Order: sequence, then C-alpha cells, then structure tokens
Amino acid sequence: MEKNQDSKRILNLAISTGEVLLKNGGEIYRVQETVSRILEAYGITDYNVFVITNGIFATVHEEKEDASSMVRYVTIGDVNLERIADINQLSREICTGVCSIQEAYERLEALKKKKGPANWACILACGMGGASFCYLFGGRLYDSVISFFLGMLLEVFLLTASRHHASKFILNIIGSAIVTAGSLALYMAGTGIWFDKVIIGGIIPLVPGVSLTTAIRDLFGGDYLSGSIRLIDALLTAMCIAIGVGGAIKAFQFITGGGVPL
Amino acid sequence: MIDQIIMSILATLAFVILFNAPKKEFVFCAFNGCLGWMSYQLFLGYGAGVVMASLWATLILTLAARVLSALRRTPVTIFLIPGIFTLVPGAGIYYASYYLIMNDLAQFTAKGIETFKIAGAMVLGIVFGLALPQSWFNRLGKLTNKNR
Repeated sequence: MEKNQDSKRILNLAISTGEVLLKNGGEIYRVQETVSRILEAYGITDYNVFVITNGIFATVHEEKEDASSMVRYVTIGDVNLERIADINQLSREICTGVCSIQEAYERLEALKKKKGPANWACILACGMGGASFCYLFGGRLYDSVISFFLGMLLEVFLLTASRHHASKFILNIIGSAIVTAGSLALYMAGTGIWFDKVIIGGIIPLVPGVSLTTAIRDLFGGDYLSGSIRLIDALLTAMCIAIGVGGAIKAFQFITGGGVPL
Repeated sequence: MIDQIIMSILATLAFVILFNAPKKEFVFCAFNGCLGWMSYQLFLGYGAGVVMASLWATLILTLAARVLSALRRTPVTIFLIPGIFTLVPGAGIYYASYYLIMNDLAQFTAKGIETFKIAGAMVLGIVFGLALPQSWFNRLGKLTNKNR
C-alpha cells in the first residue's frame, strides 16, 4: 500500500513540473524529457509520457499492482522564461538525487508563487519595445517617441482586457487597431510623423514571434500535432493584426472621405 | 551603427522584461538580440536580400543562443525567444495589410509573399542552428566549467 502511494506521488510531481514548463512556454520535447527524467530519478522505469501543446498524458507501472495514470489539461499562458530556467535547475537537482520528493514539491510550489514582472514594468517595456523597433525599422527619433507612448497605451489595454478574459483574437484585432488609429489620428493632426514606422513599432509586441519559434522547434522535433497547433496560432495572430491595422485604416479613409493621402 | 546597436539592445530588453527572463541572463539575452540584428544589417549591407539576410541572421542567433545556453547552463529558449523578435517580419505584416486595404494588389502580393519567405528563412535558420549535435555544445560547457 505504501508503494502505491509513492508511484502516484512521483507521477503527480513529474506531471505538475511538466505542466508549469508547458504553460510558461517550454517546447514539447523539453516537457517530455523533463517528465521522463523525474520519473526515472525516483526509480520508475516502466512509464509512458505523451505531451501535446495543451495536455500531458502519462502512465506508470502499467503492468504492476500500483499502476496509475494521469491526464492534465494545460492552458497556454504567457511566456515566463524565469520559470523555465527554474524548472530546469530543479529537474537537474532531482536527477542528481539531492532532492527528496517532499522537497521537490515544496520547491515547485515556491517557484509557482514567484511573481512575474510588475504591471508598470510591462507597460514601460512595451513602450520601449515600440520605440526601439520603430527606430530599427527606419523611423526617426521623433517617431520613436510617439511609438513609445502608443506601445504603452497598447500594453495598458492588453493588461486591462486580460482581466476580463477576452478572446486572444479580439485582443489582437483591437490592440493593433488602437495603435493604428492612434498614429493615424496624430498624423492627421499635422504632427508630421511617419505613421507607417510608428505603427510597425507599436504592433511589434503583438507579433507572434514566440508561437513561430516554438512551432518550428516542435515541428522539427517530430511533434507534428503540437507544431501545427502553434503554427496555426501564429498564422491566426498575424491575420488578426492585419485585420486590426486594415480595419483602422479603412475607418479613417471613410471618416475623411479619402481626402487625406494615407 | 552605434545607434543601431543601442536600439537593438533596447528592443531585445523590452521582450526580456515582458517574458520575465531570469535577471542574471539579461545581459546575455540583450547581447544575443543585438548580435542577430547586427548580422542582419551586415548581410543587408553586403547586398544579400532581406530573405537571405534573415536566414543567416537567424542561424547566427540560434548558434549563439546554443553556445550561451551551454555556457550559462540554462535552456536555449531563454536566449532564443527574446533575441528572435528583431527578425520577425512585423513590418511585412503591416505593409501587406496596408496595401490590401489600399487595393494595391500587386504590392500586397509582393509584400505578403516576402513576409512568408522571411518566415520560411527564419524556419530554416532555426532548424539548421538546432541540427548541430548537442554534444559539441556540451563539450564547450564542460570546458568553461573546468576553468572556473
């Protein structure tokens, strides 16, 4: 009976660790490897682990009396690279055998509680991203300043909206529309900005760079299903940005009657 | 030149903060993003097209990320994701949708296809970069750890 408890606890620990990794932007291959390694480190050799973008399935000791299996549904959250690094460190310590099961549980809980960046830091970072990308894509310093404020505005919107569990697609459409409308309005007010550069800088935080990178890594790691999910996500996000930008431009054309050359 | 270096560092740092990278890796992430963008600019300057420049820059960035990951003993994702943002064709998405709305279909097709080509080039860059055997990089990691 005691053994039964153990195989369950180990499996639960391994899957919970994998869940944190998957949720915060780890690739499928890494999640699978981490779960397997933790199971092996605690002496379970008879196991099966299957990971896709939003789920982990695992069984241990199928042939034995203490067989147990678990399914975990994982919603994809924001990327949090610090957690990935922390989990990596934890699983390395588990593998060298310096970490008991109880200790591992405690450390997992502790690192889950570590807070992400504060809201003001996100807002500033978003503005900084907008400004610097605007400059890199050929804008002037003057355009960068405008892009800085539009980037901050975008992040304020995203943070507020995420509290209301709005759909990601709507967020992307409205977010890019806000940036576009903002810079077109300033352009028409006669500020003389290069509105295209300002918009490019402003929408950069929405661009699906993470999905694209992870999709490629999953696809070429042989996880075709997960790779396709991410790839579709990247394509849809890009399309939503295009819809938001296009819609805002169209609306401005309509309001001004096409009189202002955009 | 110097302005490009500073701006690409700032651009990468923005994503480093947004994605909450570990603080002790900030400098290395920023360096990697800067390296990616500057190699992109270098290849453009030598007359490579945007697509080829993206391919080479992504390849260099991925390899650098792997070296850093071996040296710093952290997952490669941490250096790869913030760094790659400077190369993602955000401008392409904007121009494609702009020309579509403006009903300039010739330009729309050109920009749209270019965006896909850049994305494809980045795919190849990452894939080639990740294809090198891990053991080479591990050896690098061991070398420096011995010296410590």
